[in-house]
Amino acid sequence: MTKNYDVIIIGGGHNALVCANILAKKNKKVLICEARDTCGGLATNDLSNFTPDFCSKVKSEIDNIAINHSSVSSIALSETGHHLKLTGKEAEDRKTLEQLAPEDVERYFKLQKKLSLFSKTLGSFMHSSPPRLLHKNFSDYFKLFKLGLNVRLMGRNNFNEFARMIGLNIADELEDNFKNTLLQGLISHDAVTGSNLGPRSPGSLINLLFRMANHNNSLFGGIQQAKGGVDAVIKSLEDNVVKRGVEIKTSSFVKRCIIENDQVKGIELGNGALIHADTVISSADPKSTYFCLLGTEHLDTDFKRRIKHHRSKGRVSKLQLTLNKVPEFKNLEPTELSQRLVISPSIDYIEENFNYSKFENLSPEPILEFSIPSLEDNSLCQDGQHIMNIQIQYAPFNVKGGWENKKTECIDNVLTILEKYAPGIKSCIVGQDFISPNDIEKNFNVTGGHWHHGEIQIDQLFMLRPIPGAAQYKTPVNGLYMCGAGTHPGGGMTGIPGKNAAHEVLKNI
Amino acid sequence: MNKDLTQAALKFSPFHNRTSRACRTNSWYRWSGYTVVAEYSTTELEYTATRNGTSVMDLTPMYKYEIKGERAKEFINYFVTRDLSNMDNNTVAYVIWCNEEGKVVDDGTVFCLNQNEFKLCCAVKMQTWLKDSADGFDIEISDVTDDIAALSVQGPTSCSVLKNYGATDLELLKPFESKDFIIDGYNVLISRTGFTGDLGYELWTNPENAENMWDSLMESGKHLKIRPMGMHALEMVRIEAGFIQTSTDFVSTEHALRPVRMRSPYEIGMGWLVHLNKESYFIGKRALKEEKENGTTERILVGLDIEGDKPAHGAVIYNKKKEDVGIVTAALWSPTLKRNIAIASLMRPYGSKIKEDIFVEIYHPEELEYKKIWATCKIVKRQFYNPERRNLVPAELY
Repeated sequence: MTKNYDVIIIGGGHNALVCANILAKKNKKVLICEARDTCGGLATNDLSNFTPDFCSKVKSEIDNIAINHSSVSSIALSETGHHLKLTGKEAEDRKTLEQLAPEDVERYFKLQKKLSLFSKTLGSFMHSSPPRLLHKNFSDYFKLFKLGLNVRLMGRNNFNEFARMIGLNIADELEDNFKNTLLQGLISHDAVTGSNLGPRSPGSLINLLFRMANHNNSLFGGIQQAKGGVDAVIKSLEDNVVKRGVEIKTSSFVKRCIIENDQVKGIELGNGALIHADTVISSADPKSTYFCLLGTEHLDTDFKRRIKHHRSKGRVSKLQLTLNKVPEFKNLEPTELSQRLVISPSIDYIEENFNYSKFENLSPEPILEFSIPSLEDNSLCQDGQHIMNIQIQYAPFNVKGGWENKKTECIDNVLTILEKYAPGIKSCIVGQDFISPNDIEKNFNVTGGHWHHGEIQIDQLFMLRPIPGAAQYKTPVNGLYMCGAGTHPGGGMTGIPGKNAAHEVLKNI
Repeated sequence: MNKDLTQAALKFSPFHNRTSRACRTNSWYRWSGYTVVAEYSTTELEYTATRNGTSVMDLTPMYKYEIKGERAKEFINYFVTRDLSNMDNNTVAYVIWCNEEGKVVDDGTVFCLNQNEFKLCCAVKMQTWLKDSADGFDIEISDVTDDIAALSVQGPTSCSVLKNYGATDLELLKPFESKDFIIDGYNVLISRTGFTGDLGYELWTNPENAENMWDSLMESGKHLKIRPMGMHALEMVRIEAGFIQTSTDFVSTEHALRPVRMRSPYEIGMGWLVHLNKESYFIGKRALKEEKENGTTERILVGLDIEGDKPAHGAVIYNKKKEDVGIVTAALWSPTLKRNIAIASLMRPYGSKIKEDIFVEIYHPEELEYKKIWATCKIVKRQFYNPERRNLVPAELY
């Protein structure tokens, strides 16, 4: 065994870095082992389209990150050219909606207000360990009671409404409220993005609330872009922890944890080197953590069943195009191309896409969210060129026929759609890079290639995340913790799992 | 309606041609999807054969699983609570296994055929539980229940019967050991194991040899008081021996409808099979350790010696304040011991710390009327019957 650390963190994603930062501030000697040659994990410019700023509760606990974030508007594209641009600023949005969806204006703001209240209520619960379900502990019951109380304190009407909506599908709610299909399409898109739900699947609404909780409790107001992209944020986090004395080993794949007598004793690297520590935190996804790093011989049968049934198949692919000039979109200013553009014109369009993905097929007309960030930030590519980040919703893990055969078809479908909105865009393309959920699994060691290390659904949230009996960043093995997106409150560029995990660890060491 | 009897809903064991001919009462018992004899002639005679001669019982319906692979031993040791890390080839171990809450799934026997090949015999269907437990072990698990014909040959003269049958030097086989034999040209595995608390063996072979084996055994035991035994007599001898029976003395976690009905090993007298100091993890270890450290065990399984001669079937147990403190799970007037015995589940501290002033309320049916008997009882070791010959090596010969 080589030299001793207080804590070893497996994986160098943003949650791992946030966690390391907080531990290092408490003078813990921390080592981060990252399998790839750079830190960041799924938080990389290759995958992320937008980078919301950390919330104040996370920021106040870590060292300062001097990155400028700018707000981004969301534009739902329409084939007719009547695009719908929403910014999250009430005055502007009111004007836009009065023009394009005059009947929906009042109801839009009413819904936004209601959802915002609910997301805030849920969000208030995100910053501490969720209560344990399988233990009979008073403080756990108290926490559960407090969540119930918070929900009840919204008032009787809101409480009833919350109870009605928590298992609801987003399509029903939107069709009840709005006439404008483009508006319905845009909100539905945000409710199902990254998930394995369609707009008519029960529970798609809570997915939207979760997203809002990570975006300033706003439908469209909290979407941001960081100068230099997410890579810049990671770089800054990395610099900060290194300054604090955290050691980072990149290209260091961790093969397994060393367990003696139900207590973690360190890790073994891919090259056979052993590193000792009595506390190990895994930022890997739950399945990798339990099945690969820990080993099933340390787990009970029922526990293994729960982990195995944890739903974690990714449904989003990423296409990055390099363009030799700025493409022309019908009825869009070139400056608007750096905003968030969404092709998801109606609920039915999404639901049809979902049907293809349900049976592990590709949709001929996919749902796209894209942006050309290099218009604002020329540090992102070479001079004279531009990059276009495209996110393809419902491009399933393990697509029928295999991604090696289906990749070209998928790219062709994307480009055919884009041609409709931006004729001639194909001729601007000088390079393309495609990442399927299977590529994410292989290249980033995330089982299933899911963005959030597991579905954000009611049975996999809060005290059920990742699974009942291991939801407090702890594992059944002493000294082994988890801090990734698979833990409460879940994925997204929030740093909250990393922060909460650090506190849980500090309670015990 | 014309019903084809060969399409019976229950399976016939490979011994069926012989057992059905020997069964003079047409009294059958349903066991794990098979039909087996409940009583051949009279239960008392069959019981007496086990205690004074040799009884032969069809064991085929018992669930049997084969566990193979390089990590098979590691898996078995992880699967059961007992420490089997030093288990030798050709030995057998009595084991229990638990779920994550440390509640008993089932009990059974593990046969170590070699270090990479084990056989597990048990009362409850275990395929899914085994497969899910083996997740990550890369081993092969197969249900071989229908592929192995098994007989239990038990009683004081059983060793002599089997020697006549062709099992050379069998008397040297120690309890919980097994040995391969070739008899009449076929393979038989004989283990010195059983469910009667007496000297006895179990025979395992391919189903095609079943009828030959039955015939040779009956021939070999002709002058040694051999007799086939049905399930009713088995119930008598197993209570005398103090063996627990799944679904009678405890409910398997796989069958319990109410979580509170699940039992930890400490609650059913199986604490001696829980090796918390085992080096590696086993299923339920964390929960069992917690239970042991915190002393949260709620019940205890004890033996009762009850006054009088009326068996206390299903009787409720009371303390001196007439508060309900437990229930009898199995009861018998023991013909050999001449004692009124029972196995009972009590709420601690009754049975553990408080052993005095325990009463049972027996409802004894007497020609359409119940006679209510308030009987005192003593708490005793569950192993009521344990003759010296059971463990003697070399085994007694006649």
